[in-house]
Amino acid sequence: MTEFLTDRRTLLGGAAALAGLAALPKFALAQGAPIRIGTLTPLTGSGGPYGPLMVKAVKAVVDEVNAAGGVLGRKVELISEDDQTNPEAGVRAARKLIDVDKVSAILGTWASSVTTAVAPLCWESKTFLCTTSGADSITLLPHQGYLVRTQPNTKLQGRKFGEFALAQGAKRVFVLSPQTPFAQSQFESMTAIVKAAGGETAMLIYDDKKPAYRSEIDEALRFKPDAIVLGGYTPDTSVILKDLFRAGFSGTKLAFGYSVNQKLLDSVPADVAEKTFILSPSPAEGSKAYERLVKLIGVASPDPYTTQIYDHINLVLMAIALAGDSSGTAVKDNIRKVSQAPGGTKIDNAIDGFKAIAAKQAVDYDGASGPCDFTEIGDISDSKFRYEQVQSGKIALVKIA
Amino acid sequence: MTLLLQALINGLMTGALIAVPAIGFSAIFAVLRYPNFAIASYATIGAFVAWWANAGLGLPIVPALAIAFAVTGVVGVVAEEISLKRLRDNGALIVAIASIALNLVLENIVRFIFGNDMKGYDLPLARDLRFGELRIGPQQLQSLALAAIIMAAMFLFLRYTRFGKAMRAVADNPDLARLKGIDPARIAIVTVFLGAGLSGVGGVLIGLDTSIDPLTGYRVLLSVFAAAVLGGLGSIPGAVVGALALGVAEELALIVTPATYRTAVGFVAILIMLTFRPRGILGERAA
Repeated sequence: MTEFLTDRRTLLGGAAALAGLAALPKFALAQGAPIRIGTLTPLTGSGGPYGPLMVKAVKAVVDEVNAAGGVLGRKVELISEDDQTNPEAGVRAARKLIDVDKVSAILGTWASSVTTAVAPLCWESKTFLCTTSGADSITLLPHQGYLVRTQPNTKLQGRKFGEFALAQGAKRVFVLSPQTPFAQSQFESMTAIVKAAGGETAMLIYDDKKPAYRSEIDEALRFKPDAIVLGGYTPDTSVILKDLFRAGFSGTKLAFGYSVNQKLLDSVPADVAEKTFILSPSPAEGSKAYERLVKLIGVASPDPYTTQIYDHINLVLMAIALAGDSSGTAVKDNIRKVSQAPGGTKIDNAIDGFKAIAAKQAVDYDGASGPCDFTEIGDISDSKFRYEQVQSGKIALVKIA
Repeated sequence: MTLLLQALINGLMTGALIAVPAIGFSAIFAVLRYPNFAIASYATIGAFVAWWANAGLGLPIVPALAIAFAVTGVVGVVAEEISLKRLRDNGALIVAIASIALNLVLENIVRFIFGNDMKGYDLPLARDLRFGELRIGPQQLQSLALAAIIMAAMFLFLRYTRFGKAMRAVADNPDLARLKGIDPARIAIVTVFLGAGLSGVGGVLIGLDTSIDPLTGYRVLLSVFAAAVLGGLGSIPGAVVGALALGVAEELALIVTPATYRTAVGFVAILIMLTFRPRGILGERAA
């Protein structure tokens, strides 16, 4: 009898709860549901050195925001997937984020090839995409506004490489690059700069899965270059640097910050990378957002991608707060209103942003990666570059300009 | 002319690197009659074990190679006994597919133990020797010599030892060998040990030339497979000839085609070979 009573009580309780739920207005139900945000970063593959820290930065912001009560009274839930620096794996993971997890936005796609493959899934499903890829073609996709990037595009990067090579006294510049979506446009804008100064350029596209590049290096050296630009990722660039060393190349070497890094220096003999110049878009070192990020993740000098994804999550959450709605379309319609509102209050983190938004102030976010002002098609309009050089096996800062 | 000669030299060097794992691949195919794609992970494991012995324990490269050979051989045998052995009765295709899965598992175990970062051996890098316009790397010569010694040792083992003869007997005709009292199970274990060990050594040689990461072996898998098909699946001298031919073909192709198409040379070689001479250059059995 007692048991029956218990059962009946439970049953009654459940029925009452159900009835109560049904009676609640719709928005109240939604209030309980978390806002889902996805990261799609490279945890393995060529971009593997960057992804884990990127995710850590996003998680730190999400935890902070949740501790402060979430956004629109809802918790933020982070779902992290690995794109393996591989378009096919990236598409699979993006499908899962969009179809299963139903995220509002995907943050942090890194390799241009992955972003190019994932972007159409995002705009078709009205999911917002923030990327750190540099290929020009990406913002030229018909993305209807569902995409912004914080990485300077290749034209800008190519110009900086060309100008820097000329400044080093190089007249003949040779570019060695694997097949990437940005190799060609980068080469073209570099060539324009070098040719205008009376120089010559040439390029060789190589297969980045080979154990040695001796013949490729032979071909490059026949051009008699003053400077060689290394356009690859870390594994192939380390092999090319070794083969250049063996071949006795003594000219200027220019490489990207994402390929010649401490990990590369740790894996090659000391002389191999010596004197290589490293160019990368520079984070806004010393800015308030940058200092905050450093404190938040406990890493002394976070790489550009980590600073960029930190800005992605702050911007997306503020856009959701301003819209009062967590859909991808709401993010699309409001992201520029929080990144660059004319005369807006300068904001460097989402929580301060929420307060400003609640106080009906206009918001102008200046992030850890830079001012984060976006053009019509989603490019950033301004960025600084960081010039470094390998000196005695260490990466030394030459200048930020 | 210099251009051709240099390409020829470069081709022989890369060919010799591929030859060692190709011998391992061919030996396993000859005796067990299935293509073992897990050799990619065996090469990676060998490269990491030698790295641990060299950069971690401070051993010179030859003892590190020996350790890599032994450890990879044991890993190969254990993996075979646990996973592939019980599938052998279901035909070569099933085992081949299972070996791809095995490859993924082993590759990720390497990732788990050693991490995802690139590593390099603790050895100085030497400048190339120059003969007029031609360049030859001392390190490549060393790898070439190591590869040649390993190939010779393998040849002598197969030719003159009881076990080698038994292996060849099983490769030639398993039923006849069994009638003669040769235990195929024991032969299989030794073959897998040798095949995996050689793949491991090949991984080290590739790592010496480049850097190592969990995908080191995977990157050369196609070339190794192409070399084995080209030389004649299951033929050990064929694997060597196939690897050298493929290395030279890839380098020569660079003179006339863009470098991006280098991998395509391997595919085209397989295609042509399977179309016109399915048994390969030195293969005897029409596979």
